[in-house]
Amino acid sequence: MTLRLTLLSIVFLLSAVLPPRLQAQVRHLLSGVVRAAASPNEPLPGATVAVPALGIGTTTADDGSYSLRLPPGRHQVVASFIGYATQTRDVNLTRDQRLAFQLAEAGNELGEVVIEGSGSLEQKLQTTQMSVERLTAREARLLPALFGEVDILKTLQLKPGVQNGGEGTSGLFVRGGSADQNLVLLDDALVYNPSHLFGLFSVFNSDAVQSVDLYKGGFPAQYGGRLSSVVDVKMRPGNPEKFTTSGGLGLISSRLTLEGPIRKGKGAFLVSGRRTYFDIFTRQINRLNQDDPDYNPIPDYYFYDFNAKANYKLGSKDELFLTGYLGNDVFGFNSQGGFNFDFNWGNTVAALRWNHVFTPRLFLNTTASLTKYKYQIGNKLDQFGFNLSSDIRDLTLRSDLDYTPNERHALRFGVTATHHRFGTGRLQAGSQDGSVNFGSNITYYGTEAALYASDTYKPTEKLQLEYGLRLSGFQSGPDAYGGLEPRAAARYSLTPNVSLKGSYALMYQYVHLVTNTGASLPTDIWYPSRQSVRPQRSQQVAGGVSWLLGDGRYLLTNEVYYKWAQRQIDFKDGAQLFVNPELDSEFLFGKGWAYGNELYLEKKQGRTTGWVGYTLSWTKRQFPAQRGTNGINNGRPFYPTYDRRHNLTVVVLHQLNQRINLTGSFVFTSGAATTLPLGRFAFQDVVGAEPSAVPIYPERNTYRLAPYNRLDLGLVYKLKPIRTGGESDLTFSVYNAYNRRNPYFVYFDQVKDEATDQVLNYRARQVSLFPVIPSVTYNFKF
Amino acid sequence: MRITQISRILRMKLAAPLHRAMPMGSLVAGLLLSNCDLQKDIDVELPAYPPQLVVEAYLENGRVPRVTISESVPYLAAPTPQVPTDVKVVLTLPNGRRDTLRYAPNINQSSGKAYTHSGTTRLTARPGDVFRLEAYDTRGRRLTGTATVPATVPIDAVEWKFNDKPAEQRQAYVLTKFQDPAATLDYYRLQVHKSRLNDDPEVEYTIEDRLNNGQAITLGTSYEFNPQDTVIVTLYHLDRPYFQFLQSVEDARGANGNPFAQPSAIKSTVEGGIGIFTVLSYQRRQVILK
Repeated sequence: MTLRLTLLSIVFLLSAVLPPRLQAQVRHLLSGVVRAAASPNEPLPGATVAVPALGIGTTTADDGSYSLRLPPGRHQVVASFIGYATQTRDVNLTRDQRLAFQLAEAGNELGEVVIEGSGSLEQKLQTTQMSVERLTAREARLLPALFGEVDILKTLQLKPGVQNGGEGTSGLFVRGGSADQNLVLLDDALVYNPSHLFGLFSVFNSDAVQSVDLYKGGFPAQYGGRLSSVVDVKMRPGNPEKFTTSGGLGLISSRLTLEGPIRKGKGAFLVSGRRTYFDIFTRQINRLNQDDPDYNPIPDYYFYDFNAKANYKLGSKDELFLTGYLGNDVFGFNSQGGFNFDFNWGNTVAALRWNHVFTPRLFLNTTASLTKYKYQIGNKLDQFGFNLSSDIRDLTLRSDLDYTPNERHALRFGVTATHHRFGTGRLQAGSQDGSVNFGSNITYYGTEAALYASDTYKPTEKLQLEYGLRLSGFQSGPDAYGGLEPRAAARYSLTPNVSLKGSYALMYQYVHLVTNTGASLPTDIWYPSRQSVRPQRSQQVAGGVSWLLGDGRYLLTNEVYYKWAQRQIDFKDGAQLFVNPELDSEFLFGKGWAYGNELYLEKKQGRTTGWVGYTLSWTKRQFPAQRGTNGINNGRPFYPTYDRRHNLTVVVLHQLNQRINLTGSFVFTSGAATTLPLGRFAFQDVVGAEPSAVPIYPERNTYRLAPYNRLDLGLVYKLKPIRTGGESDLTFSVYNAYNRRNPYFVYFDQVKDEATDQVLNYRARQVSLFPVIPSVTYNFKF
Repeated sequence: MRITQISRILRMKLAAPLHRAMPMGSLVAGLLLSNCDLQKDIDVELPAYPPQLVVEAYLENGRVPRVTISESVPYLAAPTPQVPTDVKVVLTLPNGRRDTLRYAPNINQSSGKAYTHSGTTRLTARPGDVFRLEAYDTRGRRLTGTATVPATVPIDAVEWKFNDKPAEQRQAYVLTKFQDPAATLDYYRLQVHKSRLNDDPEVEYTIEDRLNNGQAITLGTSYEFNPQDTVIVTLYHLDRPYFQFLQSVEDARGANGNPFAQPSAIKSTVEGGIGIFTVLSYQRRQVILK
């Protein structure tokens, strides 16, 4: 099958560079860039540029550029984008011509306010790409958020096919994939652990982010290295016209962003920082109680993010983009008894992109990037101490060439290579006097490379194809792996308002997350494909229909998918994951499969916008007996914790007037699968140990927690301008508005007689994480 | 070595069954459990759980063999101990002789541990000797296990050192030193008691020699003993099955109440049931801190 697809792809790619046979009429190329009016250097990728009279339209690329082939003559060209006012320009086309758009933010308009560009739904109907969700930071900022902390990844969880990893967490579980199977990119640089505080917050500061695209399937050939999804986050470029300051004061953190021109007309910069301040309060409390000998100090905890972006035009055809991210979580505990515990973890990302335009139809992006994730635990008590750390560091070079030979083909070629360093475990433990001393340092290296080509081909007005092939490989020491990854997608327009779509994608994943917690924790370790640990592989087919309703105001989409994956990984019970030079012997290998139906209705025009999504899905995994174990669940299939049968989300945004936005979101999800002990036995142990009840877990995830449902409400109130050009607002959020006690986990407990300490019986207890949480954030910009 | 074992070296005060996944996870879980407003009793329906035979048998050289046979129960069953009365227990000695242990439930007055079956003669157990255990009842359940006597790893020294604080705050830490054999993978359990063995140990942890095979190993406590304290140090040399059993028990206990932990199956050293059958090999030192 792979060979047939390869030949097919080659035929299609060759056909792309041949002259279009059907091009009978003379046409001119209209091209340009769509930008935001407020920050004219901010391109708007994903904006729609269309000529409604001809039924011709396109979407802007990552750099905001577009191109349309139009017949000579006068045309009305419409540019629109979510959150921006639609702009119409007249053009008289007599030759190839450039036309730039600068769109004003919708919320700043005095007239009728439009939340969403009018052409977006039409464009979603027409595009070949399916299974993709796009969100802008602007959208996310309007929606209610936990503690008022706007989080663009959590907002993605409101889309169909995406589950969270637990109450309030930002981890994404996409179409039955686990959180480590997401390719999270920040301006094309990989981010290994995109969360703070056990996933409660993502690392993406909404002030610095422009948009995020989530690919759930039908992956374009330029993406690879993870099985389940691509989370493509784009940072916002700075304002090239004037210096501006923006920020916010929230319940748990504050943000500040500075941006401005580097040199007028040449470039711009943006720096943005965010820091939480729990620790300021806890330190005060500790100080007030420092004389109390019975007082246990509250540990210090804070996290911070620092984002930077700069761009600079070297000439009319060359531009450089520099992106940087530095974020850390810092946890510290210093007891009066001399016990010190420090735990730090965080990501470092840097990317330098060079954009070169050969012609309007041919341009090249070359990116060099560095990404690193590290955690470090330091522990000291009296004279003893230990230091445990793990990290992963990547150096990546990639080059992508976009070529549009004619209006029927859009080609993309690329090559990428990454050098990985896996520090899977460094330990140093000992005493000050040297009487106790031992340590270990385990490091592996690997090289991952890929080559790809793809073509978007439009043989007729009704049919559009997108197909590509990716050749990927990985080497670590003497072990080398590789494979072909065919990608294909098609769209067929049944009527002007109804499109059928289908896609297929094969993905390889060469690096693996070592965790047996089922949750994303700071102590995550990444491990290369080597020895017995072979690359993970998945395939997905999806089909769907998109239907534009109500004169283009609503888009109804239904997608079905089936995904199957080989060499999925898990770990033996009691696996020793820390500082283990034979870590590969702790892996277990199995298969997984997931299928489901995603129904999605969205409205993007008018004062009231939003969406309703419903997902019906199944996810299963199976790990047979192997490596001296009975496998998992005695080799029988089981549901992972993130399997949810039903998932309903309703999101409504309503612009009450020019100063007030009302928002609400409702989520209903079937209960998560979890493991409870079925039995127990009494264990006395040897002399000198306390007897106890030991739980017995014969099966994996056979119990379902109660269903989850939650309503969040929000209100954004724009304050009167503080001075000319300045603006500010108050954002109110109520998380879990009806104060439901949603289950976080269940455990078993003993009920004891207080007088005799005798166990009377056992009971099950359900723990919830968040009650109703109101919050307010003050945001400003001047 | 596990992170929690390292933590135990430093005697981190973690919320007790919640410290398996990682320290901060435990702290978060601890905070959750401490907030009663976010907890409630619920009814859960668990699948039927058929009871299994459970054995605890720690043989020792020079001692009469005593074995505890009980039954596992559904988790939410009444806390009444389930002791089957129809179980026959047969111990096969290294020389092939089969001794049937008599059913004589009792409590060992010195250790406070209950047992159900007892032998009549003291055992002779030399390193490398193999014992076999068989237990069966009238319902057709049959539990079997094998145990090999580990070599004893002697304690080379027990040392202590007082801090430099004023007399009322003066405390000592205790070091236990021993030589790890290079030829084998070895597993240890250290218990440090104060005054008497029947109380909980002040310090306890299990380790393996993966990071320091063949080296002189020193295990230490924090400053936690007072002048004139009587300290009893016990160093068990475990075989791998016993070590894995202890780890799995700890993992299983830790998973109940920790949303970050992966539940672990009990790695019994017996087949046909649950439990531990092993021959203890340990050295014990008693010192008075002066």
